[in-house]
Amino acid sequence: MKKRIGRDLFHRWKENPIIELEDIPFRCNTVFNGTAVKYGDEYLILLRIEGQQGYSFFALARSKDGFHFTVDEKPTLLPAKEGLFGKYEEFGIEDPRATFIDGTYYIMYTATSSHGPRISLVRTDDFHTFERIALISEPGNKDGVLFPEKIDGLYVRLDRPIGHGVGSIWISYSKDLKSWGHSKVLITPRQGHWDSYRVGGSVPPIRTDQGWLEIYHGVQMTPSGPIYRAGILLLDLEDTSKVISRSDVPSLSPREEYERIGDVGNVVFPCGAIVEDDGEVKLYYGAADTSLCLATTKIEYLIESVMNK
Amino acid sequence: MKKSRGRDIVHRWKGNPIITVDDLSFQCGDIRNAAAVKIAGEYILLISIQSLEGFYCIYPARSPDGYYFVVDDKPIMSPSQEGPYAVYEEYGVLDPRIVQIENSYYISYDAYGRYGDRLGLARTNDFQSVERLGLISEPDTKCGVLFPRKIKGKFARLERPWEGRSIWITYSDDLEYWGSSEVVLTPRGGFWDSDRIGVAAPPVEIDNGWLALYYGVKQTSAGPLIRIGAAILDANNPSSVISRTNIPILSPREEYERIGDVPNIVYTCGAIYESDLVKVYYGAANSCICVGIVEIQDLVNACFKSESEF
Repeated sequence: MKKRIGRDLFHRWKENPIIELEDIPFRCNTVFNGTAVKYGDEYLILLRIEGQQGYSFFALARSKDGFHFTVDEKPTLLPAKEGLFGKYEEFGIEDPRATFIDGTYYIMYTATSSHGPRISLVRTDDFHTFERIALISEPGNKDGVLFPEKIDGLYVRLDRPIGHGVGSIWISYSKDLKSWGHSKVLITPRQGHWDSYRVGGSVPPIRTDQGWLEIYHGVQMTPSGPIYRAGILLLDLEDTSKVISRSDVPSLSPREEYERIGDVGNVVFPCGAIVEDDGEVKLYYGAADTSLCLATTKIEYLIESVMNK
Repeated sequence: MKKSRGRDIVHRWKGNPIITVDDLSFQCGDIRNAAAVKIAGEYILLISIQSLEGFYCIYPARSPDGYYFVVDDKPIMSPSQEGPYAVYEEYGVLDPRIVQIENSYYISYDAYGRYGDRLGLARTNDFQSVERLGLISEPDTKCGVLFPRKIKGKFARLERPWEGRSIWITYSDDLEYWGSSEVVLTPRGGFWDSDRIGVAAPPVEIDNGWLALYYGVKQTSAGPLIRIGAAILDANNPSSVISRTNIPILSPREEYERIGDVPNIVYTCGAIYESDLVKVYYGAANSCICVGIVEIQDLVNACFKSESEF
């Protein structure tokens, strides 16, 4: 990794994109947003794949080093076909975010249907069998990310209700992961900034000594469409609804061809990160809704960027 | 009440409107709509009133007969300055619905602030003061009503999240944490309720299930037309719709429904069920409160065999 000031706080890996259409062992439209965990001696990424018919599902990619991945032969989790989940996953499942808590992996994802997007929760111990827990939001809500610890005895999530087009990040609480309440707004779009149009949680919050580090996405609207970038939030360790600091600038912006060109150009969209023992952060992000990429930095640089802005 | 076929299934009272700005002891902007409850022979309405500044408060009105009301001088609910309410009620509290559960009356209302609409829940025993219990929905959800009893051991509410413009149901063990949301009724293309719908008066349990009045909106080039319809939901699984009126039970027709701050609106937040008759209290044109009367059987008939209009 170069130490000189790069174009972004996150440094792109030289072999980006790390997963492209050609790496998928079955025919599909695109591969992009993925959530990452370290599982045993492997790095796993649960990927969003958009099928050629237009709806999305998940596939699993595995790696020994976090850089070179092999995608499983068959999809890992498909939209439910029947029952309650079938009704709300009619148009697919999108944008998974995995959190390890209570000795298991909980994955929040977006269920889409004619009734609008809403957040759904599934758990797995092995990334092979999955148990759907509940549809946990009202419609018009997505980008659910679960904190990796209970706080004051409650589970905590960030989410992004869209409402009348104003996309803010909200925080909600739960005793059982199924029923949620005490929702309040956390951050809103900022006029004039890179995140002036919409904001949403991206990576499940990371505990640091200085607070919960949240890598979120911000959207700026332009005459030719939106620009999606990633920025940093720091939340109070005890009162997660308290914002300690928010970076003025994005830490990753679309610049490379693979971020500019694709089904949805000018998008970088992280759904997962792995923090190594030495403080290296591996950020896995979808690029232009067409491939999965990797960028790295140090956790201390992220803290520094949000504290000393 | 005339038995002849009226223009609508709900019959307007001849003394409509029953509350206008001239009946108030204070100046205001407009009078939107009213929740209704009958306690020990007294009829109480909770009316959403917009101040001249533009903010919303909720005022009680009281009557011995259900037709002639006196409006209190002071609101029973106004935007709270305290805790989380201060932000989310900044622009007002409005559109209350009252449900009695055991010995308390629960008021679900729209909290309106810079982040949009969301549902608030309050409780009262005497309609002199209320206790706020919480902000219970995500943003941009409005028109919330509780069911008057638990269903399969859980509290339940109907509501209208903006996404999809449909009526949803959500459940809770404790009125604090809510989940298991499901869609119940959606707008119908081409119909009078094609643009959006929302539950209106609280559901009432009848032999056939839950009878719920709802409002439906059709868009026109001059703005929305807001009418009232009815649906019957399964008694123990209210996300299952047993029947729904094909036609509205009340449509804006009279001058007081056509002319006002927001014309062409009839919108109810409360109805009183008295043996075979229902008194439907409805806001007209966001400018006054009216009452309409209908037989329960006529509502049920309308749900099961709506007449074709041609």
